[in-house]
Amino acid sequence: MTNNRLEIEVPPGEPAVVFRRFVDAPPELVFAVWTEPDHLRHWWGPRQFELVVCEIDPRAGGQYRFVQRPPDGQEHAFHGVYREFDRPQRLVRTFVYAGAPDDESVETVTFQCDGRGTLITGASVFPSFSASEYYAQGGMEVGLRESNQRLDEWLGAITHETNRRQS
Amino acid sequence: MNPATDELSSVFAALADPTRRAMLDRLRSGEATLNELALPFEMSVQGVSQHLKVLERAGLVTRGRLAQTRPARLSSGGLQAASGWLERYREFWYASFERLDEYLEDLQAREDGS
Repeated sequence: MTNNRLEIEVPPGEPAVVFRRFVDAPPELVFAVWTEPDHLRHWWGPRQFELVVCEIDPRAGGQYRFVQRPPDGQEHAFHGVYREFDRPQRLVRTFVYAGAPDDESVETVTFQCDGRGTLITGASVFPSFSASEYYAQGGMEVGLRESNQRLDEWLGAITHETNRRQS
Repeated sequence: MNPATDELSSVFAALADPTRRAMLDRLRSGEATLNELALPFEMSVQGVSQHLKVLERAGLVTRGRLAQTRPARLSSGGLQAASGWLERYREFWYASFERLDEYLEDLQAREDGS
């Protein structure tokens, strides 16, 4: 059974985060809206965030660059290189946030035909992500109590996943 | 050890192991010694100690200094970095997919209409 709920989990076995999401459109179309600037401007990022630069060289070895402008005007730039560009089922690319240029993650997105739509799975693996950037953004004031609450949610999701795999 | 210099990757690497997840789960109900942590896992104290070191390096656990047993307890450092990152990740994709649904619907309606 499929629904359009966004699932996010930390899979056992690698330092990665994975999302899964079903959309009501065939893989060919989903791949196109995922890789063409004219499409991406309409949906990539939160609604108030304008995608002011979106350049894509659509091939393995091709580069891409996105610049996002949130309401506060503080722009965020992302760039990387496509390692695989396999229409319409699979994309692998490096991902670098210009604010932390030494931290490169690798994103793999697959588009699986699933009945009337497409199941999208995206994995971000980060071998060298430094936490300091996120500390700087998020602040250090959050107390242990709130962290424990987050850990509950976090472990809840992880435990659910582990049980599912074992059963 | 300063948690601000920890790497987020070490948190996710630490959480990628089911035994370490179970150890964190156990520590939610309070601090525990090595022997207490080893009990449910059919694992040597040395094995548990190795896992604990990984959790410690990731800033997910701290060990007591005073008692000889050095009980382990949960720490907020590594978790804060990881959960903050995860929250932003979730928000980004939640918002994007909401827009993507609408956009795909528009596109397909236009195609049907033409």
